[in-house]
Amino acid sequence: MAAGLRTVILLSFVLAVGFLLIILSCALWANWLPLLVALIFVLAPLPNALFSHCGSDEFAGGYESSGPVDLGRFITSMVVVTGFALPVVLAHSEVIHPNASLMSIVGGGLVYGTILAYAAAFKQDDSDYE
Amino acid sequence: MSLPRSNYDPRRVCLNPFPELTLGKHKRTVGVYLAGGLFALANWVFLDAAILSKHAHSPWGSPDEPPPVHVSFVDWVPGICSLLGYLVINMIDKDRIRGDQGFGDSRAVWRARLFLFIGFALMAGGLAGSVTVLILKYIINNYPQEFTYYGYANVSQSIFLMFSAVILWIAQNTSSEYEYNLTL
Repeated sequence: MAAGLRTVILLSFVLAVGFLLIILSCALWANWLPLLVALIFVLAPLPNALFSHCGSDEFAGGYESSGPVDLGRFITSMVVVTGFALPVVLAHSEVIHPNASLMSIVGGGLVYGTILAYAAAFKQDDSDYE
Repeated sequence: MSLPRSNYDPRRVCLNPFPELTLGKHKRTVGVYLAGGLFALANWVFLDAAILSKHAHSPWGSPDEPPPVHVSFVDWVPGICSLLGYLVINMIDKDRIRGDQGFGDSRAVWRARLFLFIGFALMAGGLAGSVTVLILKYIINNYPQEFTYYGYANVSQSIFLMFSAVILWIAQNTSSEYEYNLTL
């Protein structure tokens, strides 16, 4: 499990850098609105994770469309776009500094990428039990 | 390209059937993600205009002169119409509209079509209303560029919502999962 350990350490490092960027973007200009971006990106994979179990009985339900799974994906994509759009909108109306917006976008992208990469890297271990 | 006459079903909406797109399973996922992203983008474009209007300050050189126009409730109405239409369109069972699924009640098909019509009318009404607001409130009064932007944001919100509805419709109409289960 040396590779897994290295992956965990790398991902946690990237996550820390992402949070560092977001908190720095708040603290440097003493305006704590960009902290919302971190919250949004942490919450982004939640609908997908919740609704993905609703489609697990696809053999019982025949071939009818998996509405709840689609809803989860829809909400997830909505939240991700919200996370990218919020700093841009705030910077456009001059509530936050443009550099703060850029930093919080990069930091949020790093946080969300970490979550995605973590889910992708350790998905195989779960499927052994099913 | 036309179907043989024996396939004609009087309960069908159009003479030409809905396109039976058989895309891969990933196409459906990508379509749903894209639709969600467009949906959020549409609303954020308008919210950007609203927030910008809230934080608008006086033009340079004349600090006593307030901004000539603000985003008011009139600007919100087309977006609300489009959102309602979006909800109505996506709450309809797609198989029931097509009417070839063997539902016994033909009144249900008729009612589903009526609601689909109301949904599309609401979305088109939202688009028309946003164009109306753009012209009557912003262009006719010859406001400068940064205030005309409110109207353009309104129109783009309606257009993005329409694109989102179309993409979601196509993505959910792909009969991919049937094949997916057959191959398993």
